[in-house]
Amino acid sequence: MSKQEEAKISTLLSNLWERNLPTLRERLDILDRAASTASSGELSEASRAEALDIAHRLSGSLGMFGYHQGTEIARQIEEILKAPTPATLPGLTSLTRDLHQSLAEKK
Amino acid sequence: MRRILIIDDEDDIREVAALSLEATAGWQVLTAGSGLEGIAIAASEQPDAILMDVMMPGVDGPTTFRNMQQEPAIAHIPVLLLTAKVQGVDQRRFASLGVAAILFKPFDPLTLAGQISEALGWNEDETA
Repeated sequence: MSKQEEAKISTLLSNLWERNLPTLRERLDILDRAASTASSGELSEASRAEALDIAHRLSGSLGMFGYHQGTEIARQIEEILKAPTPATLPGLTSLTRDLHQSLAEKK
Repeated sequence: MRRILIIDDEDDIREVAALSLEATAGWQVLTAGSGLEGIAIAASEQPDAILMDVMMPGVDGPTTFRNMQQEPAIAHIPVLLLTAKVQGVDQRRFASLGVAAILFKPFDPLTLAGQISEALGWNEDETA
């Protein structure tokens, strides 16, 4: 593939990323709320399941746009939400913060 | 020209995969947002291959694959499962279904067509 073709695809991906930003922000809000309620020990089953679904989707999609660290962090969030324990749930707060930061810095 | 059907409930995955396969390989891409829709499109359009997500609400990828195998009109079409699950036990379970290949999310849009071609033994020179 030529550099020109790669650049064209990169531009198309950037456009797609921009278009999907509102959805991404909604998803991050859901994860933030789940992390917040988890830290106070009040994460409901419905919120856990919703956040787990979001984390799974992010782990499968962020890397497509070049956010590889974002995929890795989303995967860690997914693992915690899959089998939450009082010891692991508080870790969601720092992971969601790391996720925001990785997306801001495109890591 | 190759024709690929992408079945995934995620809009952005469908869009990136379609963009990738069209731009890098020149393939024609069909899309479906659910397994049921995918089966209908596969039967009517007869794509050369199907790229299908594992986790979808309602009827998931493995169940859709098993349903496809019961349909003589589409049972011959190779299916590649697309999954974000990285654990070996999940991969072995998916492989035991009899799919053509398992590809992993997140995929690299620049190399997806090559991965599909390699998995299916396609000569990319024929498809460019």
